[in-house]
Amino acid sequence: MMWETAILIGLLFGAACYLILQASFVRILFGFILLSNAANIFLLAMSGSPHGKSSPIVGKGHGPMVDPLPQALILTAIVIGFGVIAYLVILLYRTFLDQRTANACELFEPEAKRSERELS
Amino acid sequence: MSASMIVLPVALPVLTALIALLGGRPKTWRRWLVGISATIQLGVALALATGAYEMPPQVLGLGGWAAPYGIVLVVDLLAGIMLVLSSITALGALLFGFAELPVKVENPLRLPLVQFLVAGINLAFCTGDLFNLFVAFEVMLIASYALLTLEADDWDIKQAFPYLAMNLVGSTLFLVAAGLAYGLFGSLNFAQIAERSTEMAGTPQLTVFALLLLFVFGMKAGLFPLFYWLPNSYPILPNPLAALYAGMLTKVGVYVLLRMFGQVLPPDMPLLHTIMAWLAAATMILGVLGAVSRNFIRSILSFHILSQIGYMVLAIGLFTPYAIAAAIFYVMHHIIVKSTLFMVGGTVSALNHTDDLGKTGRLWLLTPVLGVVFLFQALSLAGLPPLSGFWGKYMIIVEGVRQSEWVLVACALLAGILTLFSMLKIWNGAFWAPKAHEGVYLEDSRWKPMTAVAGGMTMLSIMIGFGAEFFMRISHEAARQLLDRTAYIQYLLGGGN
Repeated sequence: MMWETAILIGLLFGAACYLILQASFVRILFGFILLSNAANIFLLAMSGSPHGKSSPIVGKGHGPMVDPLPQALILTAIVIGFGVIAYLVILLYRTFLDQRTANACELFEPEAKRSERELS
Repeated sequence: MSASMIVLPVALPVLTALIALLGGRPKTWRRWLVGISATIQLGVALALATGAYEMPPQVLGLGGWAAPYGIVLVVDLLAGIMLVLSSITALGALLFGFAELPVKVENPLRLPLVQFLVAGINLAFCTGDLFNLFVAFEVMLIASYALLTLEADDWDIKQAFPYLAMNLVGSTLFLVAAGLAYGLFGSLNFAQIAERSTEMAGTPQLTVFALLLLFVFGMKAGLFPLFYWLPNSYPILPNPLAALYAGMLTKVGVYVLLRMFGQVLPPDMPLLHTIMAWLAAATMILGVLGAVSRNFIRSILSFHILSQIGYMVLAIGLFTPYAIAAAIFYVMHHIIVKSTLFMVGGTVSALNHTDDLGKTGRLWLLTPVLGVVFLFQALSLAGLPPLSGFWGKYMIIVEGVRQSEWVLVACALLAGILTLFSMLKIWNGAFWAPKAHEGVYLEDSRWKPMTAVAGGMTMLSIMIGFGAEFFMRISHEAARQLLDRTAYIQYLLGGGN
């Protein structure tokens, strides 16, 4: 269980980094969404293997329970991550409207070069 | 003094922000409300800081839960000092904003967002829990994203994207660090991490954790090689907000580095401290070279934030009680000086209608008071005695010489000289140049109250310079409290007062 989770987290982080380094806005956005999910799964993994443990509800569970703290942390992190991703979507959309490009490389190229490209 | 007062530096700004938000459109009473609230916050911060002098840290368990289980807020002298500084900067920036813009033109969301930003900053100073620190950082960052784009025009707004992207990566890694801390130490409480990390000193896990923290907070502080988000994004802010950001935001990163490496992590990590010192030296040199190469006042000042961060982190990297005290003194000096310089830059651009040094000029002739304010702060930033910057640099260099780190000392001295050079560049361009491109708009009388606010901040800075002995004593006491890990652990886990 531990190894599978570790490999999954590694894959998610790798894919997220790959996507963030792309030039297209949409890929960057998906990269950040994957990144926050990778971090959340990492947090979840910190509560240890859930095998043979019941859910942490008072009066319901029997025997050893899963550590609830990482779950509380993830809940907070998801809410914050959701808010920031929503902001990122709006920022990228606004940039797209203002600059007429959805490509991060074109966004920061010098103005002269840019008008040259638009003319051609 | 009761411990429940600790909640005020966080609760007051949130409450003010909510009331101001409900107030709807910008009206004069909102300014009074926020101004009075900021003054009360300063009073509370001063009371907390004086209460922390030579006293054990004040602990407040939120919701009545004691330390290892609940979230705690802790105020020791260092946190108290930072609270005072953040209140002063916030008050100064607010007054400067009031002077700069008439009530009607002000964006209705600006004041509430500034208060949320202050709440996040203050929570980061008070918290005694790693995950709560993450939340504080997020409150602060989300408010800062919003303020960065709130009044940016169509062309500038793209500069917010690198800022957001870097901070998103940083926040995610911070979350991973928090998870790792829970996995390694079974707790997120600073005192428990400190207690358990001592037993783990020297293990690879602890080194990885420390490197992760160095990466995250080094990025927030603007340390080499992760500082490229800063000098492009700060100049797009409106002037008063630029003063607040320049004063506080990167210094929150420095504060957390101090707290983490000074107190929470075990002191015997020579590798980490060496890495920090050399990264700091690189930051100093590259930051100041960037400043020399720029031609806009606010760009120059933004690059200077970086090179000054280098001095503070260098002091943390040298890691002796004297060096930590030097870092704390430097933070005190720097926050005041830096935000004043941004205010001066804002006033110059109000007078000349630009902050392009090729187009400004004649200000020494027409507004000598502004020139004197600038001169004091610029020379203080460069470190000329007896101004406040000199004492901070002096302490750091003395410690470097004691440890025979000649290259680091040489970097610090070189950065000081180049700082002076780029400050003279602003002086020549804005104050001594015989002709201004578009003329000087003296009839725009906003510059008088703006200069007055900057002048008030300068008084504080001069006070730090001439009262250096008093402020050094405070820094030494704060450093002693910070490095006294056993007392901290005992008070935090001793069941909240």
